[in-house]
Amino acid sequence: MNATDIKTAFFIAYKTIIKGHKSTVALIVFILSLSFFNLMFVSGFLSGFSDGIMRSMVDTSTAHIIVMPQEEPTRKDFIPEQKSVRAQIQTIPGIVATSSHYQLGGSISYDRENNGKIKSVSAPIIGVTQSEEKDVLMVQENMVSGEFPDNLIKDEIILGANLAGGFGTKQTTDLGGAKVGDKVQINYANGITRTYTVKGIFKVTIGGIGGTAFVSAKEAEAVLSTYDNASEIMVRVDLAKNTLDEYIQRIETIFPELKVEKYTVRLSTVGILVSAFDIIALIVSAISILVAAITIFVMIYVNAVSKRRQIGILKAIGIKESIIELSYIIQSLFYAIWGVIFGLGIIFWLVIPFLALRPILMPFGNASLVYTSVGIFINISSLIISGILAGFIPAKIVAREDILKSIWG
Amino acid sequence: MIKVKNLVKTYPGKVPTLALKDVSLEIAKGEFVALMGRSGSGKSTLLHQLGLLDIPTTGNVVINNIDVLALSDAKRTRFRLQHLGYVFQEYALIAEFTAFENVYFPAMALGDYKAKERTAYFLDIVGLGDRMDHYPSEMSGGEQQRVAIARALINNPKVLFADEPTANLDTVSSEIIFKLFQKLNKELRQTILVVTHEPEDKKYVDRVVWLKDGKIIEDVT
Repeated sequence: MNATDIKTAFFIAYKTIIKGHKSTVALIVFILSLSFFNLMFVSGFLSGFSDGIMRSMVDTSTAHIIVMPQEEPTRKDFIPEQKSVRAQIQTIPGIVATSSHYQLGGSISYDRENNGKIKSVSAPIIGVTQSEEKDVLMVQENMVSGEFPDNLIKDEIILGANLAGGFGTKQTTDLGGAKVGDKVQINYANGITRTYTVKGIFKVTIGGIGGTAFVSAKEAEAVLSTYDNASEIMVRVDLAKNTLDEYIQRIETIFPELKVEKYTVRLSTVGILVSAFDIIALIVSAISILVAAITIFVMIYVNAVSKRRQIGILKAIGIKESIIELSYIIQSLFYAIWGVIFGLGIIFWLVIPFLALRPILMPFGNASLVYTSVGIFINISSLIISGILAGFIPAKIVAREDILKSIWG
Repeated sequence: MIKVKNLVKTYPGKVPTLALKDVSLEIAKGEFVALMGRSGSGKSTLLHQLGLLDIPTTGNVVINNIDVLALSDAKRTRFRLQHLGYVFQEYALIAEFTAFENVYFPAMALGDYKAKERTAYFLDIVGLGDRMDHYPSEMSGGEQQRVAIARALINNPKVLFADEPTANLDTVSSEIIFKLFQKLNKELRQTILVVTHEPEDKKYVDRVVWLKDGKIIEDVT
């Protein structure tokens, strides 16, 4: 196929579109724009859902990177000299903030009516320095009662709503409605018993953090009889500067003895949910592309069959089959490109502004459509490639017909 | 110009139809020949085989010293574009193209982008110089057929084939078309092979080949 053939094919396609029924052209473009909108909306919405869940996990539970104590050759309970470790980690360009956690286990007891009917539940307890923690995890932004002060004092505790109870479905694992100002008692795993005043209650529905309690790092050190250690160091990074793997590699280079993990390993059931959404998005996208391809196929086939005589005439005067096929591919491309343009227009000029005005509230915040340039490129390419194939096949079928049969039927 | 030898065309089916029976024929350059005969005599079938619109079952067709049946599909298509011109019974114009575009298009497909002057020239010859921008739907049958003739001539074909070009036209339009063929034949030495069933068309041509039941029964100069 040479330049003349391509020019000839363009000429046929151009004239066919220009002189074709405007309403037919508009209908094809409209259907394709809806197909593309469907492809973009569903994939964007599910991506937004996954992204929101991940973001919620990173912001409230896991940060981006978790540094844990040495496991080989011998497993240790703590990272020693955590302040120094964190200071070194923070020298890595792109690290936003770090904080240390003490992990304690224990049984929390609450006497709601002060009548001796005590309810006890097991819960993870985390010792934090909130003035550092607030730059890494944003639990303080999810308070439903009281506050999470920077200087949480020795006998104060922050409870997750799922642990405190009274902020949603009643669970056997909650305290039955502990409120700010109430007293709770913790029997730590090492036998120490302490009483705390509830200073604040936070509500996070994604992940298990909602069933956790926070005490101050100093209190945790007192309970554990230790100092300047950490059960884990949480690291928040700027992903625009480096990839997560690059940050992990840098940390591992400085501290080869420590175990460094990215947040995804802590997603557990949330991770399964996100993977399920990704699979659903993939299936819905594939169906949308298939629907778009079938639409183009049917439209081009009907168009080609109705132009059978014209195709026969073109062949009779010496126009190559490949030129005729290309002209139909160009027509498909025209429809697909306009479908993409209108589909993008609906998404970016209608749906996104509409969602900004009337947001859909999800457990992790407002639902949003999330797109990456690669994702958009893949969606556009998918529709255009399927359009080319869907245009080529019917054109090939009709163009292969015998000349006389095409002209006279 | 055209040499046809022992041409046989059988249409397959439950009962195969023998449409052409051992037809042999020679047409010289510049001749204006009419293929005549009753309906079903094989005249259109013969024209289709000579014009490479169909492939004969057996036999030889040589046009301009080229064994055209030995050419590949792609080369036969190119040969049609470059060396043969067609005028069909039902005008066979592209509805989406103007008269000018219908005529210019085969030249464009050949890569001859300077054919615009020639397009205007041929449209003038067929008397449609003032209807260039009109679409087929805006023209009468006679006018459409004249556009088809101009289109058939645009690539300076070795042979112009016309399959009952006046079958759908009134007497006046038919006369215009045949006089146009005559003019092209005389002035441009255009070789023309026309299928017609109207006996009075004989007056325009140099030679009449009569067919009956797929065989040439008379060849009158």
